[in-house]
Amino acid sequence: MPELDDELMERYQKGDENAFTLLVRRHQQPLVNFIARFINDKDSAEDLAQETFIRIFKAANRYKSEGAHFKTWMYHIASNLCKNELRNRGRRDRYRVDNVVNRGSDSESDTEPIDLIASAPANPELQPEIALERKELRNAIQKAIAELPEQYRLPLVLRDLQGLSYDEISEVLELRSGTTKSRINRARLMLKEKLKPFI
Amino acid sequence: MNCLQAEEHFSAHFEDTLDYQTLQGFEGHLAACEACQHEYVRFQESVKAVQQLPQIEPSPYFMSTLQQRLATEERDPSSIKAIAATGWKQLLDGLRRPKWAFSGIMALILAAGGLYFYQEGSLFNQDAHQALVAPTSQRQQTATQPEVFSAQQSRRLIGDGSQAQQRSILSTPTQPMQQRYMLKQVSYTNASTSGGL
Repeated sequence: MPELDDELMERYQKGDENAFTLLVRRHQQPLVNFIARFINDKDSAEDLAQETFIRIFKAANRYKSEGAHFKTWMYHIASNLCKNELRNRGRRDRYRVDNVVNRGSDSESDTEPIDLIASAPANPELQPEIALERKELRNAIQKAIAELPEQYRLPLVLRDLQGLSYDEISEVLELRSGTTKSRINRARLMLKEKLKPFI
Repeated sequence: MNCLQAEEHFSAHFEDTLDYQTLQGFEGHLAACEACQHEYVRFQESVKAVQQLPQIEPSPYFMSTLQQRLATEERDPSSIKAIAATGWKQLLDGLRRPKWAFSGIMALILAAGGLYFYQEGSLFNQDAHQALVAPTSQRQQTATQPEVFSAQQSRRLIGDGSQAQQRSILSTPTQPMQQRYMLKQVSYTNASTSGGL
């Protein structure tokens, strides 16, 4: 039976560095998926996921298993890093837009959305038309998620893509249970409207 | 239950967490409202589609890159400085927000004002202190002028009867401030009250 995250953290706090490696191996994939879906950028997602683990590494001595669960603590750190990243991007974009307006010309390449589906493994058993249709739908879904306001997107990704419970999401986002539930329902209703042409 | 209320329960019904009474109301509304039935089907399909999105995998170099970064963090003693720099950066970031910047400026103005008035106050105190430590002759000199004036005034008010008494008071060479206080007392007590007080 695999060890619990809290047990691994306890081992790491006592000086067992392998315990930290095990934690990283266990959570690297869900964390990268969460960040990539939330900020809609796979390359930055890897960097931010590593930054999350570095923060955990630095703060490991302060971690107390009675206070919060490792998983919610990890997502809390990652969410804050993502929010900072998006805020900084917003500032950079505003600066870039100003410069483009002032200069009257510039590149357009780095504002293009990154195709997250391309990195997903393809199913060789599917007919090409069906595969293309599914890819289009997935791209539309990712685009629709990326267009959601941050306060709705974050709980939706944690619920529908990461599979966290409502209590865990409330802990990550430091929200009341009722607020979490209503935001997730609202996010799903918004997505339904955005996906109207496809579903 | 109306359509808007039904919509609020879409997620709870989808996840089978509605209590019995709400479930009866929700399903009763859906059975009677074709539009809500249609919307709920679309809602279920879109949620399932989101949940079926493929998982994004990290690159094969994720672990090795992380280990390199962690080794740098451990080796580099400047990581403490980096944390301190982050603290400053956060403080400066905070000051970029208008509300915080305004509060910061107000605090600086108040601090500068407080310092200014404190210094002004201490200057006054310095003058008072200098006055206290000044030589007795100098103090007597500065205090004599008003005394003469008050003596003349009081003579006018009191009349000749008390002149001898006044002279004896005025002739006392020491403590001119005390004299003035006494003269004023005399002038009040012996003054004519014909005009009323």
